[in-house]
Amino acid sequence: MTATALPDDIAPDEREPSRSVWAEFRRGLAAMAPILLGVTPFALVLGSQAAMKGLSPLEVALMCGLNFAGGSEFVAIELWRSPPQIALIAGMTLLVNCRHLLMGASFAPHLRRLRPWQAALVLFVMADETWALGMDDARRRMAVTGRPGISLPYYAGLAVSLYIAWVAVTVLGAVVGPVLGNPHAYGFDMAFTAVFLVLIRGMWKGWRRALPWPVSLGVAAVTHLAVPGAWYVPAGTLAGLAVAYFVAGTETREAAP
Amino acid sequence: MSDFARYFALDVPSLLAILAMMAVTYATRVTGYLVLRNRTLSPRATAVLEAVPGAVLISVIAPAFTTTNPADLLGLAVTLAMACRFPMLPTVIVGVAVTALLRHML
Repeated sequence: MTATALPDDIAPDEREPSRSVWAEFRRGLAAMAPILLGVTPFALVLGSQAAMKGLSPLEVALMCGLNFAGGSEFVAIELWRSPPQIALIAGMTLLVNCRHLLMGASFAPHLRRLRPWQAALVLFVMADETWALGMDDARRRMAVTGRPGISLPYYAGLAVSLYIAWVAVTVLGAVVGPVLGNPHAYGFDMAFTAVFLVLIRGMWKGWRRALPWPVSLGVAAVTHLAVPGAWYVPAGTLAGLAVAYFVAGTETREAAP
Repeated sequence: MSDFARYFALDVPSLLAILAMMAVTYATRVTGYLVLRNRTLSPRATAVLEAVPGAVLISVIAPAFTTTNPADLLGLAVTLAMACRFPMLPTVIVGVAVTALLRHML
């Protein structure tokens, strides 16, 4: 074994990020696979609900392909009338998707070395799942290389698989109609919770950095119970960031002589 | 109306609503990036930004923690325990399967 060879027991994710474009793309497809298990039933339900509200399969494909943000699509379909109230739907879309502002901001350091059109495309397909897995991978790469930056083919693999699955399965749902019933009756909704919990575990950097987590959870949960709509996401996020702000403040003071 | 016409029906108000959703959503996606693209942040601002992923993900799944249904609570506990030790795929499969099983039994 040469000095540069890596031991076999290191997971592929933790190796030097120097593999071929195609291998990176396939790694992205593989990383998205468990998430598609959870996404597929919801895409079927969204498509069939949209069909019941009178949207054609083409309109479902356009909504999911151009907007590509599932939460806001469920809300839009829920509020859909014929003809749709455009201002109401745009306003609710903004509320559900305002978390993207912070997601894009935290993604920015990793996108700095991309060309503008590449960054524009990366952001077009930035959904919870692609962003969370892309950030997770960028963090691991930074631990090895010492500088920020995403693996573009890996991210493309994540995005292509989620995009095709989301658009194709919602259209399928619109065409075949309500075949599946309520996905909550099975357990597929737990797939999202499971994926996000595993990703959150990967962000563990000691209890101090984890202090915002219980605060986000508590504030989001209480807001969800008390206020209808999607306000719980911005409320929980901002509460957690406020804690992070104070924790960072005490760290700087302790570091001072 | 033929199947073909029904599948490809597209009226103007629906198209406008969909385009409005696209515009709003894309604006939320690029704005945070455009604002921070060329900034150098203070260590404190960097620490806050590093807390964003955890805070967003936990807030998104928080409704799962508000359930009073015993099957959902047990399923969540099993999923949480799995997530602390195991990789993505086994956690997802066990979480979904155990929750489905509990919902049918309890």
